Amino acid sequence: MPNNLEGKVAIVTGSGRGVGRGVAKLMAEEGAKVVVVDPGVNVDGSGFDQSIAEVVVGEIRDAGGTAVACTESVATMAGGERIVQAAIDNYGRLDIVVCCAGILRDRMVFNMTEQEWDDVIAVHLKGTFTVVKHACILFRQQRSGRVITFSSQSGLVGNSGQANYGAAKSGIAGLTKVVAKDMGRYGVTANSIAPRATTRMIGAIPESAAEIRARGGVASLSGDGGDDSELQNLDPDGIAPFVCYLATDYAGNINGQTFLVYGNTVSLMSQPRPERAIWTESGHWEMDDLSQQARRYLTAGVVNPAPAQQR
Amino acid sequence: MPLLQDKVAIVTGAGRGIGRGVAKLMAAEGASVVVCDLGANVDGSGADISVAQQVANEITADGGKAVACTESVATMSGGEQIVQTAIDHFGKLDIVVTVAGILRDRMVFNMSEQEWDDVIAVHLKGTFTVVKHASILFRQQRSGRIITFSSTSGLYGNSGQANYGAAKDGIAGFTRVCARDLGRYGVTANAISPSASTRMTTSVPDEARALRSARGIAAGGGLRGEPEDVAPMVAWLASDEAAHVNGHVFHVTGGLVTLLNEPESVKTIRKDSRWSVDELAAVFPATIGIELYNPAPAPPPRA
Repeated sequence: MPNNLEGKVAIVTGSGRGVGRGVAKLMAEEGAKVVVVDPGVNVDGSGFDQSIAEVVVGEIRDAGGTAVACTESVATMAGGERIVQAAIDNYGRLDIVVCCAGILRDRMVFNMTEQEWDDVIAVHLKGTFTVVKHACILFRQQRSGRVITFSSQSGLVGNSGQANYGAAKSGIAGLTKVVAKDMGRYGVTANSIAPRATTRMIGAIPESAAEIRARGGVASLSGDGGDDSELQNLDPDGIAPFVCYLATDYAGNINGQTFLVYGNTVSLMSQPRPERAIWTESGHWEMDDLSQQARRYLTAGVVNPAPAQQR
Repeated sequence: MPLLQDKVAIVTGAGRGIGRGVAKLMAAEGASVVVCDLGANVDGSGADISVAQQVANEITADGGKAVACTESVATMSGGEQIVQTAIDHFGKLDIVVTVAGILRDRMVFNMSEQEWDDVIAVHLKGTFTVVKHASILFRQQRSGRIITFSSTSGLYGNSGQANYGAAKDGIAGFTRVCARDLGRYGVTANAISPSASTRMTTSVPDEARALRSARGIAAGGGLRGEPEDVAPMVAWLASDEAAHVNGHVFHVTGGLVTLLNEPESVKTIRKDSRWSVDELAAVFPATIGIELYNPAPAPPPRA
């Protein structure tokens, strides 16, 4: 039995199903004691099912691993604190937090309600902060720790119909880069995963959004203009090995990065970097000068991801 | 003809700093401007209705058209009323520029819920509330310009800004989705990542810097550029000339405007079957791991 995480204690939020479940199970297999966090809600955030986390814990224990279920919500500070406390109460320490918990409420931006916005931001973005903040208090004291968050190509690249989700997921990438800077000096690393996998969340995208996507010819769910069918057979368990690797002691100098992970593929995502630039010697633009240079050079031939369409 | 002749623009956070520069230049270029500002302090406290009015007065004195608005961007009704102000005063809306923002810096392990919530509310939700209501009109009229404000704090990460970095990178992601939701209707959405000396970065700052250093946050590098220098690129993006520019992030400081790259895979490892952790531990350091930059390496262990 592999033991790359022997003696470690990990929290995995959203581990009742999908990508999180795969991470929790592999971490346990690698020797970590795992807090399986999942309130068992539906993809849209409604409902509550305590048994979802328990089932995963049962599977881990049946396989000879160690795990405990936690059904606290990540969306409140008290919930985040209790999740971290669950690790301490049950296993006496905390080494790893993995934040997979998320919901979907897709809608075109002009139709999106406040509730749809707030709920998605609360679970993904604040729900990452609440757990990471409380974990970081411990990580700083013990001068070690691993923070692994979940971003998405929807935020990094942009998917139509996901203004809330894209904002949250891109926000998580930003949060993670700041945590990397805040915590690196204490021997902690923080990295972000942009996964592609066929999970319950992909299946939940409403028909209307899929139709609008197709009709508008905008980005498909595979995020890079690829065929959606590419997503059909991406096993969510394929994300787990790289997440586990980031959590090991071997990965102590990998910090502040975003990785695209799908199937049996791991890619390092680029950091923002200049692609083209224009400047004026004086340091202050005249409008006409800027206009000319912006048209002729800075934006000449740039790709419009959703060009205007005739009615 | 002026670049923005007969356009109507909303500029949030236009009472001071970059927003003020954008509002004034847009007015000088012929736009009628809704100058939105609560007149809050940098930390979000207080309200001073004279701040927005002052800028509107300056614009009017220069022969431009402007109206002050002191609604908060942080609520849906505030966002709706801001958009309604443009309709009520100028009969239409062509441009929204969302500059409004506050700062509540703190290391992540010390950051309070209030510090997190307030910054997310003003920056991230405050961008959504205005853009959502504007986009209803933009879709109907099949034209419009959305220009949001991101930051290098989110794009690269600044220590002590977990809330601000999350909000600002969130805005970049939001903007990329808006570009894709609205592009087909002839609308564009782009984000600016500015560097400039403003009240938020340096002018209040003796106090803020003292606060940062008291909280153990390292001082940031010196910022170049005046807040007014960000305005020309914003005005250009708002113009008809920039109809082809959609879904991009531009860094603007002083006389330098940079188009940032789209996120892309730069190094990839792949195999035919599922990786094991042992295999990744063997392969990663020699492939993707080569020359991987750690932005904050741990110091050597203490003796």
